[in-house]
Amino acid sequence: MTDRPTDPQLAAAVEMIRRESRRKFLIRSGMGAAALAFGPTLLAACGGGSSGGSDGASAGDGDTKLTISNWDAYIDEDADGNVKASGTTIGDFQKSTGIKVTYNKDFNDNDEYFNKIYSPVLGKGKRIAADITIPTYWMAARLVGLEWLEELPLGDIPNHKNMIQSYLDQPWDKGAKFNMPWQAGISGIAWNPKLTGGDLTSINDLFDPKLKGKVTFLTEMRDSVGLTMFGQGNDPADATLDTVNKALDKLQEETDNGQILKFTGNEYLRSLENGDVAACVAWSGDIAQLDPDLGIQFAIPDDGGMQWFDTMTVPKGAANVPAAAEWMNFVYDPENAARITEFVQYISPVEGVQEVLQAKGGDAAALANNTLIFPDEETLSRVVTFGELSAEDEIEIQKRFNDITG
Amino acid sequence: MAGENSLRKGRRAPYGLLSPGMLWLILFFLVPMWTLLRIALSTKPNPFLPEYEFTWEWSNFSDAVSRFQPELVRSFSYAASATLICIAIGYPLAYYLAFKAGRYRTVLLGLVMVPFFISFLIRTIAWQTILGQEGPALWFMQTFRLVSITDALGITSSGAFLNTPQAVILGLTYNFVPFMILPIYVSLEKIDPGLISAAQDLYSTPRQAFRKIVLPLSLPGVFAGTLLTFIPAAGDYINAELLGNVKTSMIGSQISKLFLKESNYPEAAALSFIFMAIITVGVLVYARILGTDELSA
Repeated sequence: MTDRPTDPQLAAAVEMIRRESRRKFLIRSGMGAAALAFGPTLLAACGGGSSGGSDGASAGDGDTKLTISNWDAYIDEDADGNVKASGTTIGDFQKSTGIKVTYNKDFNDNDEYFNKIYSPVLGKGKRIAADITIPTYWMAARLVGLEWLEELPLGDIPNHKNMIQSYLDQPWDKGAKFNMPWQAGISGIAWNPKLTGGDLTSINDLFDPKLKGKVTFLTEMRDSVGLTMFGQGNDPADATLDTVNKALDKLQEETDNGQILKFTGNEYLRSLENGDVAACVAWSGDIAQLDPDLGIQFAIPDDGGMQWFDTMTVPKGAANVPAAAEWMNFVYDPENAARITEFVQYISPVEGVQEVLQAKGGDAAALANNTLIFPDEETLSRVVTFGELSAEDEIEIQKRFNDITG
Repeated sequence: MAGENSLRKGRRAPYGLLSPGMLWLILFFLVPMWTLLRIALSTKPNPFLPEYEFTWEWSNFSDAVSRFQPELVRSFSYAASATLICIAIGYPLAYYLAFKAGRYRTVLLGLVMVPFFISFLIRTIAWQTILGQEGPALWFMQTFRLVSITDALGITSSGAFLNTPQAVILGLTYNFVPFMILPIYVSLEKIDPGLISAAQDLYSTPRQAFRKIVLPLSLPGVFAGTLLTFIPAAGDYINAELLGNVKTSMIGSQISKLFLKESNYPEAAALSFIFMAIITVGVLVYARILGTDELSA
């Protein structure tokens, strides 16, 4: 998903705090109480989870074992944090297919995973332990370009048809033959009305001298640069070195004059809650999980917003491709996808999830009406994913961006 | 004959005893250093592929220095400031613990260690709350109208604590001060109280006794404490990232960005090497000045 702190300990600490705030929100909204008391998770807690098993990939028919490498807090779990309890997505998948899943929450950061695992292992033609990894779209595009991914056996994934149309049109993977999106989100602007004294509508509002030193941007280059490009009337979907450099000039200027306080990962949430930051670039999923009483506002700027998605990919030479296909098919069933959405509260790439949640009624139906999780057509028409960059351009841009972010 | 034999054995024995340590150093220090140096002198033709070409690429070093000079200077000046503050806080505290604490000594020593029961990161994150806009530190200063004074003294920057260089130095000081206190305490505690009595018998004032007896004998502790504080503080980047702003980043985060974001292993290796070289030279010079060998003997 989004850029997490690279240090695993730091990531864990941030996640702990996030989890705490999410729990508070769930309890406040009553949704958590219902889910905890009456959900099947309670039975699972009594029966003891069927977790365990740490073996990696091994050869065989490839349909008895599956290793998934995903971001933390990105799938439903029971009250004890067990992702494999019965009634959870993985628990049900194991029961219905007999495939034993090893689920690792070790995907902390795209660049880190690339430089520590993809490049040193796949780059030498060797097999990595995971059968499914879930990089962000631009990293998936890079992997497709490097030919480090297996083509998906679409014949074994009938639910592939449930994919929302826009994901089939990605220029780097037309028809989504190498990737199946896991969750998506939107980057926009968030603000604390008590400090801004009014609503913000454009990314350029973050450059208002009134907010000097009270603004943060994200260390995720595509989000910060993309939104700035929109503010300059350029379209990040057709990013060129010229338009990107223009946006970087702007960010450099606003950093030098002290307007932008710092560039952050998920930590921005606490700064926003504590009043140290008045306005910032933010991720919709984070704001959807915040306590509504805080009054934090989120909007997609009128100029335009950035969409991102993390996507399931099968690394080259994976041992268990058939099992991976079964998994992808399973989570593209709207019923199963809805359960994940209910828990993680990001935008689902699967058609029909909204209807399933509406039919469930109660809090699930309330979730179905949340425009941050189910954006309407008008919203979606205003968001784009960042255009593909050549390797040289990407490195050059990243280098300049790093010099700006400090 | 027998005597000569055992003497020869005696000569070889130290090497035998040293071999595990030497092996450790070779495997986990010299070999990685050699690899690091090799990568630092290589090029990576395609940043995305794990292939290097060893080309005596000295430009990696000059590029790293010219690009990251501000961060290098900043890392060392922040670490030096934090170390000086640590001495200012740590020395009196260690002195009190060694000579005045009496039966509370163990409890107080325990209290110095207590923060280590909590993760380094959590402690640093806690400072975000303490120093933040709605935190107790700023509340106190606003209530007593001290903000203009602290601004003038350079403790705060335009009324803010958090996200300033001062906050980074404070974080470094807080996180590393126990490493200063403990070695100083150990060296003070070893001092024979009889020496101070003797000085007094010879008509020295307490101040002279401190300057001529206690201080010189405790310098090895100060030296050890300085190393234990300065080196990790210079390499730390968590404090800069959590408590600082866009203009306070230190060398550690630049090395990590070079490696992870730009996939530029050679320059990252060169920068690490430069950083280590500066520290090593600094430590040697410092050891020379303090002349630790004589002191500890």
